[in-house]
Amino acid sequence: MAPGGFFGRALLVDVGGREATGTPFELTERVLRSYLGGVGLGTWLLHRLAPPGVDPLAPAAPLAFVFSSLVGTPLTTSAKFAVVAKSPLTGLLTDALASSQFAISGKLTGHDALVIRGRADELSVLLIDGDGVRLEPAPDLAGLAAGEAETAAKSRFGRNWRTAAIGAAGERGVRYATISHDGRHAGRGGLGAVLGAKNIKAVLVRAATKVSVADQAGVLAAARDLRKRSFGPATAKYRELGTLANLLAFNAVSTLPTRNFTAATFEGAPQLAAEELHELRGVARNSCASCSIGCEHIYSRKGGGGQRMEYENVFALGPLCGVSDPDDVFAASARCDELGIDTISAGGTIAWAMECVERGLIDEPWLRFGDGKAVLRALDAIGTRSPGLGELLAQGSRRAAEAVGHGSIDFAPQVKGLELPGYEPRSLQSMALGLAVNARGADHNRSGAYEADLSGELDRFDGGAAHVAAAVGTEDRAAVMDSMILCKFLRGVFDDPFTEWARLLALVTGWPLDADELRGAARRIVRAKRAFNLREGATAADDTLPARMLETPLELGSGRSAVLDADRLRSMIAGYYAARGLDEEGRIAAADLEDLLLDA
Amino acid sequence: MGKPKAWLEWHGSTLLYRATAVLARTVGGPVVVVAAPGQELPPLPSGVTVVEDPVEGLGPMQGLAVGLAAVADRAETAFVCSTDLPFLHPAFVRCVLRGLASGPDVVLPVARGFRQPLAAGYRTALAGLVADLLAEGDLRPGMLFKHCEVAQLSDEQLLADTALARHDPMLESVVNVNTPEDYAAARDRPPPEIVVECFGALAKKGGHRPRGVRTATLGAAAASVGLTLDRHVVAALNGDQITRDELLPLVAGDVVSFLSADAGG
Ligand code: SF4
Repeated sequence: MAPGGFFGRALLVDVGGREATGTPFELTERVLRSYLGGVGLGTWLLHRLAPPGVDPLAPAAPLAFVFSSLVGTPLTTSAKFAVVAKSPLTGLLTDALASSQFAISGKLTGHDALVIRGRADELSVLLIDGDGVRLEPAPDLAGLAAGEAETAAKSRFGRNWRTAAIGAAGERGVRYATISHDGRHAGRGGLGAVLGAKNIKAVLVRAATKVSVADQAGVLAAARDLRKRSFGPATAKYRELGTLANLLAFNAVSTLPTRNFTAATFEGAPQLAAEELHELRGVARNSCASCSIGCEHIYSRKGGGGQRMEYENVFALGPLCGVSDPDDVFAASARCDELGIDTISAGGTIAWAMECVERGLIDEPWLRFGDGKAVLRALDAIGTRSPGLGELLAQGSRRAAEAVGHGSIDFAPQVKGLELPGYEPRSLQSMALGLAVNARGADHNRSGAYEADLSGELDRFDGGAAHVAAAVGTEDRAAVMDSMILCKFLRGVFDDPFTEWARLLALVTGWPLDADELRGAARRIVRAKRAFNLREGATAADDTLPARMLETPLELGSGRSAVLDADRLRSMIAGYYAARGLDEEGRIAAADLEDLLLDA
Repeated sequence: MGKPKAWLEWHGSTLLYRATAVLARTVGGPVVVVAAPGQELPPLPSGVTVVEDPVEGLGPMQGLAVGLAAVADRAETAFVCSTDLPFLHPAFVRCVLRGLASGPDVVLPVARGFRQPLAAGYRTALAGLVADLLAEGDLRPGMLFKHCEVAQLSDEQLLADTALARHDPMLESVVNVNTPEDYAAARDRPPPEIVVECFGALAKKGGHRPRGVRTATLGAAAASVGLTLDRHVVAALNGDQITRDELLPLVAGDVVSFLSADAGG
């Protein structure tokens, strides 16, 4: 019998021609307990199911929707799922989390994961429920935004189906296309392009069964307690202003990346700040399914309608491109959602192109820092992969820089091919390490080491041993939260996270877990991600930051400069390798490889 | 004064705490206190270290020799000051240290009518020379200045520094307290004028806009806007270091930004 909260199986869905077939794939209790679910289990599945060296856009490349034992319980923020695949942007592992009823219905098809392989003959939708899997041609959905496709699918198949869909960018293979559902996005690493390469516009799931937990009364009591705590001061920022609250604060502490990371303060920040917009605009709040925090803030737009705004999309399409008009940024965010592209990668790639134009490396004189209309025009070019600029930028900043040459890779804002989020590495040096070593590439969700930098407990301008410990610690905590799965915006409510998480998981699964076992799971998951990347050709040379960060001091608002040179970063990386039990080339010891259960 | 100067109360801490914390927030390198043999000191800011002077009663030159030697392996230059400068401003320290960049061994302010050897900049390599002079019985700073290159800074030269002119136009950085009356007068002064901003969930309606307040410490600045520096709140000083040190001394012109401790995400 499967442990509480699990079914003990994944469904392997092979699409080909006009048909889809589903095959159960057993997930042993040992694997489930070792990887927990979500990102952890998805990583293990990729190891097992992705042929080594596979082209991420080839039919054989698997795309996994992965749930966890907590999905479907009343625990707040647990209605989430991970999407895991080999990234067409980085060529390495990517995983993205999103939350909606899709998570609950997907799991209640009776599976802990749904893994899709193959390629349909024509644009189709894939339906999965208790009756099995089937493929339906959907040429009429071509070019639609994900939200429109979702609406169309609902009217065609019925309201009790839940849909994850791609926009036009995913169909056209933009390397940072997203998968969207209910207005939320599995955003990073180009998962939408992977689904598009399978000729699948949307995956529809319908609940067909139930799942039981080990201690129903205990889970209910824990859910009540967690819900109560979710209304406390640790989540106030998310409730009251949402993540956009970061913008003005980051500007004040010189860590708001501006004009392609040439500055860390932006003169237009006040116009884009949540604090200002809340006074000037109508704002509605919304939340993901099963969430008591409700961090989403939807701002009214000039001319009607609303747009959900998060710090990352405002940073990337605003300051990073030098744009300060909120309506331009709202419009650009909306365009990214319509096309189905990752706002961070889009903004980073466009900002890089703007700098190339300034330096005379790209001949598109209209593409200038500060011009919001130019950002929109560039987004359209990317979404349609129009010949020339659109085709170039649809590849992401690393590939585009390799094509343009002239040293433009030095200022391409990426690590391992993934564009940097809105955290300036030179003024947040724990975060700098996290960005450099993370398996997914430059990423703020799998490595939240900025927490330590902004805590005042270490010198954020002088990375050293304390910063290494902070980066390892936050990466471990993220690995567990992303695998069990709970929303990371809840993290501040846990005083003793591993112990409390072990207790929650024990109530659901029935496993007698303790904090140490969960810490072990965290290390295993981080190692398994690295093992996948090593298998796919990554080396220690990929653990780095763009040359700009290591060669150019950053002027701070205080008048000082922040410096992060290559030696300091290398020394932190060496500390990280040692803390993770890796050799000096970042490779995994044989005994640790065995612990990954890759043959189980 | 009833107690040693180092222990004199200053806005919730002591004069010594203020002096060392102002230096710590200003310079990039180590901050060292030279204590007399067996001298008990009040609590110090984290990171500030104490070296004991092995010989008692030889005056400031002996302290200078010990202090310069203590940091010589980590810094080429040092700002040296006494405990009792309650209005020492970081702009003054920066201005003096900048003077060492052009090569002199000592930058000696001549401010408010007096030479200020205990608010001056020294090359740490002078430690040996100072020790030699002491061994020869030369206990006065004036003797040291005869043996090395000294750049004097007049009031006008000091005030040519725009930051110093703006924040300390009367050069009160060098005002010391030698009598109970001096101390009482200094303590009666209004605290410095600083600017406070609150961000995110800490900003009540319009609260993110800068506002001027008069406070001498970070804790008092937080209280002035209804905040406590608990686990959910941190502060950035002038957009630079982030801290929760309630006793951190503030000076005229400071900008304090209060942020949610869970910034990011
Ligand atoms: S806190 Fe925000 S992102 Fe997290 S589950 Fe709730 S609404 Fe979704």
